[in-house]
Amino acid sequence: MPYKILDKKELAMNEIWYKIHAPHVARKVQPGQFVIVRAFSNGERIPLTPVTWDREEGWITLITFVRGKTTMRMANELKPGDEILNVAGPLGNPAPMKKYGRILAIGMITGIVEVFPIAKAWQEIGNEVTTLHVTPNPMVLLKEEFEEAVSRHIVEGFDLQPGWGMQEIAQELVKRAVAKVKELLEKEHFDMILTVGPAGGQKAIFNVVKEYGIPMHADLHPIMVDATGMCGACRVTIGGEVKFACIDGPGFDAYKVDWDELIHRTGFYAPMERLAMEHYLKQLQAQGGEQ
Amino acid sequence: MAVKRKIIKERVPTPERPPEERVKSFVEVNLGYTFELAVKEAERCLQCPYDYAPCIKGCPVHIDIPGFISKLVQYRDNPDKAVKEALNVIWACNSLPATTGRVCPQEDQCEMNCVMGKVGDKINIGKLERFVADYAREKGIDEELLFEIVPKIEKKGQRVAIIGAGPAGLTAAGELAKLGYDVTIYEALHEAGGVLMYGIPEFRLPKSIVESEIDKLRKLGVKILTDHVVGRTVTIEELLEEYDAVFIGSGAGTPRLVNAPGINLNGIYTANEFLTRVNLMKAYLFPEYDTPVYVGDKVIVIGAGNTAMDAARSARRFGAEVTIAYRRGPEDVSARIEEVHHAKEEGIKFEYYINPVEFIGDENGKVKAVKFEKMKALDERDSRGKRKIVGTGEYVVLEADTVIIAIGKHPNRLIINTPGLKVERGRIVVDENLMTSIPGVFAGGDAIRGEATVILAMGDGRRAAKAIHEYLTKKREEQKANA
Ligand SMILES: Cc1cc2nc3c(=O)[nH]c(=O)nc-3n(C[C@H](O)[C@H](O)[C@H](O)COP(=O)(O)OP(=O)(O)OC[C@H]3O[C@@H](n4cnc5c(N)ncnc54)[C@H](O)[C@@H]3O)c2cc1C
Ligand SMILES: Cc1cc2nc3c(=O)[nH]c(=O)nc-3n(C[C@H](O)[C@H](O)[C@H](O)COP(=O)(O)OP(=O)(O)OC[C@H]3O[C@@H](n4cnc5c(N)ncnc54)[C@H](O)[C@@H]3O)c2cc1C
Ligand code: SF4
Ligand code: FES
Repeated sequence: MPYKILDKKELAMNEIWYKIHAPHVARKVQPGQFVIVRAFSNGERIPLTPVTWDREEGWITLITFVRGKTTMRMANELKPGDEILNVAGPLGNPAPMKKYGRILAIGMITGIVEVFPIAKAWQEIGNEVTTLHVTPNPMVLLKEEFEEAVSRHIVEGFDLQPGWGMQEIAQELVKRAVAKVKELLEKEHFDMILTVGPAGGQKAIFNVVKEYGIPMHADLHPIMVDATGMCGACRVTIGGEVKFACIDGPGFDAYKVDWDELIHRTGFYAPMERLAMEHYLKQLQAQGGEQ
Repeated sequence: MAVKRKIIKERVPTPERPPEERVKSFVEVNLGYTFELAVKEAERCLQCPYDYAPCIKGCPVHIDIPGFISKLVQYRDNPDKAVKEALNVIWACNSLPATTGRVCPQEDQCEMNCVMGKVGDKINIGKLERFVADYAREKGIDEELLFEIVPKIEKKGQRVAIIGAGPAGLTAAGELAKLGYDVTIYEALHEAGGVLMYGIPEFRLPKSIVESEIDKLRKLGVKILTDHVVGRTVTIEELLEEYDAVFIGSGAGTPRLVNAPGINLNGIYTANEFLTRVNLMKAYLFPEYDTPVYVGDKVIVIGAGNTAMDAARSARRFGAEVTIAYRRGPEDVSARIEEVHHAKEEGIKFEYYINPVEFIGDENGKVKAVKFEKMKALDERDSRGKRKIVGTGEYVVLEADTVIIAIGKHPNRLIINTPGLKVERGRIVVDENLMTSIPGVFAGGDAIRGEATVILAMGDGRRAAKAIHEYLTKKREEQKANA
């Protein structure tokens, strides 16, 4: 069942926005839910989050951060008018829609994309939402949209240094996130914290938040395959119990998450993912050579 | 006129690829009969009368086995006609013979009862069924038969939604389409077929065969909506607003985990995840295909059913040394005999009477060994007739880079959480017509049985189709009376 790409653009470096015809998802999706996309016949199933949608017109928008083979292939090979093979969903549980009071919603790198629908909906039902985007510049994703949607939007950017690898970027990201969150929590009162982003960053933020005893909701990103509760790839330990993030989550009480396990599990395929990427780059090179 | 039959005791064997060769690829192991060999095997059948034939009684869907076998002999001079006639007989009860011919536990069903067993080898019913289906597909004979059926269908003007495109859902859909209903299947994954696609490996059931069976349904007018997860994309309540009846064939897709420390270590897979990566996502072709799977040098598979054999034999094809660890003894192994035999030929080791109690990891959170308790069997038997087992308090530790858990599954939670749907021990409760506690909603297959077999799921699909037909006929008549 192919789904047409109605529009596509690069929002910032390596941040690609897609508008996709997927009426079955648009009709039902709620903030906090996600979809599984399989773009190519030999492709992987990857979870992505609808950022905006139109129930009548039947489209959703997705934003990907180009990080591995699939997201890079999507960026390189898909044009407006093309079709994506599969968009399944909406999946996962909607975020709880409650009046908490003052909320700090933190998105690291593309995590901010997933914060958007939740933060917007929380603001709409009467919360006072501050959003914080921690990111290497110039990825000021959705800045205007956030400024319009929530009470206050803060971008904590930093410049990538020449020679930095993923490791260094992640370290800097965590450092910046922790410092900014500490600063905010020292000065202000919040009733609820939301985080989305790499598990390492989420854990570091949680360690700050728990000092203040503020409730914290974490949207988790374990590896997923089917996302319908069939495979168990996405299992996480929550309060000592094994849960499947795709059907029990993806949002959980941060106080109950086994962070170290999650960090290990999300990193498991890194060597194979690098292999896939190298394979793809070689293919691209070969194609370039023929021309 | 009674023909005197010569009794041929030995089975005509089907050729198989040798173990050394097949552990290197996912190509199908059993090569199946040629027409000549099939006729030779068919001639061995004693042609027991229909009312007596014990093979028919042993078949969960009561295929007229002597009936289809006799066609092969009768029209031996015209292979195409022989197969067409035989297929017509099989189709009356079973719409997926290429699949069941490959995966049914024949030794416990039709073949178990075959009277030839008293004097020699039982008739190779499964492989004959498979032959008929394969030959028909290759020669386009199944299409011919289908074209004869389609124009005769009388449209009923009523709509039925089917949840899940596994054997139960596909069968129900096919039967209902033949009866003239407008049928739509809602399937969560990107491909139809259920376990046939994501679970059972290519070397046992080539995916092109499943795809061709599904193609036939499309030709019957069945619509298949993939990427639609019932419970999320659409609810059963919403389906009931749009359709006149609903059939749930969502299977038993939720893996059971061993309740032991370390279960979430890296390198520990559920059989579902492992097999889905390998089969549905074609991880054995990584990096040509994007989805990875990690198979270390030493693999332990926990469990001894079909799923465990499939996982073990798949892992073997990645070059691993594979051990099946089972908490009971060899007599309780529930996998098909052919699969156990193939697994042993392929060099898979079996360790009995050990039960995992802890998964041991390294500093990176990756599994490196499994601690097992040694078990022993008592004379006492449980409700399924298996000997009870108890721990001995003695332990053994086996090294493993990859562990695959294949100890069973529960029904899909997204469906069983439907308000008003009666569920017991995770299984959907149905009445004798396979209707659930929600009027107009029927269910069958693993969703009501827990883990069962392809043919039982298909049998449910047929029975449910019949019940839905009756239910909708009544509804039509009532509507007419009220109009
Ligand atoms: C619920 C959920 C919502 C998400 N929403 C978004 C989003 O809106 N935008 C976005 O850019 N990213 C999102 N992600 C992350 C996204 O799925 C991964 O970035 C993507 O799978 C990477 O694929 P790749 O082949 O390009 O990279 P790879 O090289 O395959 O992987 C890079 C990293 O991505 C993660 N990852 C890889 N495969 C998967 C997988 N199958 N499931 C989950 N994580 C994986 C791993 O941490 C891995 O180390 C979401 C993840 C989840 C679980
Ligand atoms: C690895 C393995 C090997 C096996 N080997 C054999 C064998 O050799 N012989 C044999 O007879 N049996 C075998 N079995 C058992 C057999 O496959 C099952 O009994 C049979 O497939 C059950 O059929 P089903 O239609 O009830 O469910 P399934 O085949 O499980 O199909 C259910 C379908 O419903 C879909 N679904 C689930 N939830 C939803 C939802 N919420 N919305 C939409 N769709 C949904 C699923 O994606 C799936 O496609 C094996 C099972 C496994 C796992
Ligand atoms: S029981 Fe055996 S011999 Fe008799 S009809 Fe069936 S297959 Fe043939
Ligand atoms: S992704 Fe398979 S169970 Fe969650």
